[in-house]
Amino acid sequence: MPKIALLSNVNMNMVIRMLQKSAEVWQPEGYGNELGILMNPQSSYQSFGAEYTFLVLDLMELLEHDLDEKAAEPRMGAWFADLESALKPERMYYISDACLWGFELAVLVDQGKKALLEGLWQKQLEALCKDHGNVRILPYRGLIGTLGEENAFSLKMWYMGKVLLSNEAQRRLGSLILDRLRIEMRTPKKVLVLDLDNTLWGGLAGEHDITPIKLSEDHGGLAYKNLQRVILQMQRQGVLLAIVSKNNEQDAMEILEEHPHMVLKPGDFAAKRINWKPKHENIREIAEELNLGTDSFVFWDDNPSERQLIRDMLPEVSVPEFPEKPEELAPAMTEIYRQFFAAAAVTEEDAGKTAQYAANAARRELEQISGSFTEYLKSLEITITRVRPEKQVERLTQLANKTNQFNLTTKRYTRGEMALLLKEPEKRVYLYQVTDRFGDSGIVAAAVVDLIGSGAVIEEFVMSCRVMGKNVEYGIMDDIEEDLYHAGCDRVIGIYIPTAKNRPVEQLYGQLGYHPVELSEEEKMAFNIGGQLKEEGAVCYGLSLAERPGRIYEARMEREV
Amino acid sequence: MKEKIISLIEEVLNLPAGSITEDTIIADVEEWDSLAHVMIIGEMQEKLGISIPVDEAVEVTGVAELLEKAGA
Repeated sequence: MPKIALLSNVNMNMVIRMLQKSAEVWQPEGYGNELGILMNPQSSYQSFGAEYTFLVLDLMELLEHDLDEKAAEPRMGAWFADLESALKPERMYYISDACLWGFELAVLVDQGKKALLEGLWQKQLEALCKDHGNVRILPYRGLIGTLGEENAFSLKMWYMGKVLLSNEAQRRLGSLILDRLRIEMRTPKKVLVLDLDNTLWGGLAGEHDITPIKLSEDHGGLAYKNLQRVILQMQRQGVLLAIVSKNNEQDAMEILEEHPHMVLKPGDFAAKRINWKPKHENIREIAEELNLGTDSFVFWDDNPSERQLIRDMLPEVSVPEFPEKPEELAPAMTEIYRQFFAAAAVTEEDAGKTAQYAANAARRELEQISGSFTEYLKSLEITITRVRPEKQVERLTQLANKTNQFNLTTKRYTRGEMALLLKEPEKRVYLYQVTDRFGDSGIVAAAVVDLIGSGAVIEEFVMSCRVMGKNVEYGIMDDIEEDLYHAGCDRVIGIYIPTAKNRPVEQLYGQLGYHPVELSEEEKMAFNIGGQLKEEGAVCYGLSLAERPGRIYEARMEREV
Repeated sequence: MKEKIISLIEEVLNLPAGSITEDTIIADVEEWDSLAHVMIIGEMQEKLGISIPVDEAVEVTGVAELLEKAGA
């Protein structure tokens, strides 16, 4: 568990006390003064060094009960400006969205005012999040809404000790914070594998005409439609969908393509296996097709024997339970999202994932009809663009931490470490975006290089499996080496540390023309890689930049200005 | 009701059953600070529907007094 702090303009000490049972939480003296604590370089909060700071604000207190929007806007503006000046790039911040509560609101004739004032806060908060990748929104208003204001606030505790929230609301706030931390720390799943009959719709395809399956605008049929709406939203946020179903393909496709109440369309699925083969074989095939490990799969099927089969045959696949009643379908799926897929931050790459994987399938087709490999590469019209990493800390951290196959040292970085690393003069961080005639694959490769005298050590090199097999890495390495050469480097050291997953790049440095080298203890010390080379099976490679080999790839190299 | 209130206090203070009796004085219990006191008063209202007026609640010094104010 990381170190955390909870700051507020009201008394949140009881929530802090609750959190201290499961995390290391900064202990404030008294309460309130959230900005003072953040801005004072000498405060005990600063020396505590919280990796995550949660700011839960009571908007009414912040506005000092002045509901005039002309006064409210600059007041909020000043708050956000102070906060912004106190932000540290290596730390993460969660700030509550606005919930305005106070008894004078109940007698307010202008009922739009509450929403208006909350909207002002929301606008400024969203703007701050846009400018700072390390600031995120804590869904506090949702918590109050679910509980209802009557149960969420306690006037008695407020009067007794400026404790705004009821005990129940405080417990839920504590859970919300712990849940956010859990989401920050775990690796989200990537693929949701779905059955069709009695899962995406009620009844069996092919038993009747298209309409008698249960999928409609009312009764149980609406429950399935609502389930599909949840799944579609997940897909739009980057979850890859796959169908593994025992049906006659034609019957199922007819529904998928033509049923008037199907929310999910055939193109929303990155892969489909509608056949009578055992489901674990189909899942393995899909994993290969998408170039993803089965440990990033979640399997959902109404049939308990199919679920048991997958648990037995592919224990690394997550297999959640299936609800008893149709009305429980949509809530069950939101729980699956929260448990397995929710990511702390959604990057632009996530949104277009299915399209990217579909484009990959089209590329493979072209590969089959192209005569030679180089002809194929040429026909792809690949462009590799070196982008500036400073504005992409989120994606950079995500790439380094989520990439398992094309990952030379499997070194993991927190967002804070990455942000600090970008500022170190002796480190160079390279980040690349790849596009081709089928579309934009997004930002898919990164390298971290440590400059030491006239030498350079590649401490990490990762590339998304989406662009593997196109010699893109050759172009990237050429670019990095040229840049290092211009920086006065004459020798580059690369390290390969084997893991269960990165066998695909075992030979990479050899293919790039590097030679295995034995470094002396002094050299290991100088390059600061003694620790890494102690890892089991670690191999060190070296290349003199004066002797760079020619590499075969077909790509236009560009640089973001 | 007395037992319910006492076990609620023990739960809030995270103390084993039997730690709190009718004779307990708040100042003698290390865990029973002003914040815990607010939580106990709040919990009595949320869980048991017992509402002690604010100004009286902050003055309470012992369990017997608390039970009396709660009408238990």
